[in-house]
Amino acid sequence: MKARAVVALSLACLGGAAGSPAAQEPGVGVGAAAPAVRVHDLEGRSVDLARYIGKKPLFLEFWATWCELCEELMPRVRAAQATYGSDVEFIGINVTVNQSRDRVRRYIETHKPPFKTLYDDEGTSTRAYEVPATSYVVIVDRSGTIAYTGSGGSQDFDPVLRRVSQNKPPSRQD
Amino acid sequence: MRLYTPALTLAALLLGAVPAQAQKDSTVKVVLQGGPEVGRRAPDFSLPWANKDGVGPVESPYQLASDRGRTVVVAFYPRDFTKGCTAQMRTFAEQYDSLFGPDVTVVGISTDSVTTHSRFAASLGVPFRLLSDPDQRVSKQYGSKDSGGYNRRTVYVIGPDGKIRYRNLKFNALDPQAYSELQAAVRTTRGS
Repeated sequence: MKARAVVALSLACLGGAAGSPAAQEPGVGVGAAAPAVRVHDLEGRSVDLARYIGKKPLFLEFWATWCELCEELMPRVRAAQATYGSDVEFIGINVTVNQSRDRVRRYIETHKPPFKTLYDDEGTSTRAYEVPATSYVVIVDRSGTIAYTGSGGSQDFDPVLRRVSQNKPPSRQD
Repeated sequence: MRLYTPALTLAALLLGAVPAQAQKDSTVKVVLQGGPEVGRRAPDFSLPWANKDGVGPVESPYQLASDRGRTVVVAFYPRDFTKGCTAQMRTFAEQYDSLFGPDVTVVGISTDSVTTHSRFAASLGVPFRLLSDPDQRVSKQYGSKDSGGYNRRTVYVIGPDGKIRYRNLKFNALDPQAYSELQAAVRTTRGS
């Protein structure tokens, strides 16, 4: 961690990191092993992400009901789930800041997000994945390695989802 | 913060464009940028402000010294209208009573202008003042100035005696524990 921060800042000062996808987005980087931490579901039951990581490709979105970018992103997530949902597990981790379980339940009833919702009321996944913002998406391939990170309402994760769902190695286009 | 010193020092060395004395000065400066520790007196400051109702009068800047006798929460943050800052300020606004309480002064500080602050505060219904520190004079005193011209996200709780009671130099706007810790620190300070 220390070495990564030093190198990242040094490269940034030298202007050499601008083109690197891993350097564009803070958080746990592409190529790292996805942290298998415990969070909760909406009923308060413990859920270990190890249950999913390394079993099949995983789409994680860190979200909140008040997040406008998450709202903006939702059609893309919905389309992705419709296309890749049989091969990829879609999970939305609610960051729980300024949230309550009831508020999240009401949101789910109304908006029917296309993912299984988990509730990280202890912030373990937020810290482990170094989540910089809501709408942050992490895609994990079948081996448990992070294949994509990004945030914002107009992310294009389709190529990565296509690849990980077919269990292919990374390409230059990703 | 520990990462900061070696990172900046290495960056300066790699760049090779910084004279030896400046490198030495920069190292010293970085050490000083740690900000006042818990138990130390909070450096006084005076800054222009805005709230959700508009921009404060130029002749009446916010002065920390005028809040002696009260608990004060000072939150440095990078920039109005960005994702993390919106999450943080929205949470502060919507959970104001449970996080802080009526007898606490809360101020947010960024490099944004008071005009931008006013729009930002109005957009979220922020019930406290946002202070403008464009040259980062105050954020530097509090170890909250980053290398890119913005503030780092830090939070200080200052007791009625003007001393630092709590600080989080890496406040994570999306971590519920960060808010719980802050809430506990405010309660302890108010009760002391």
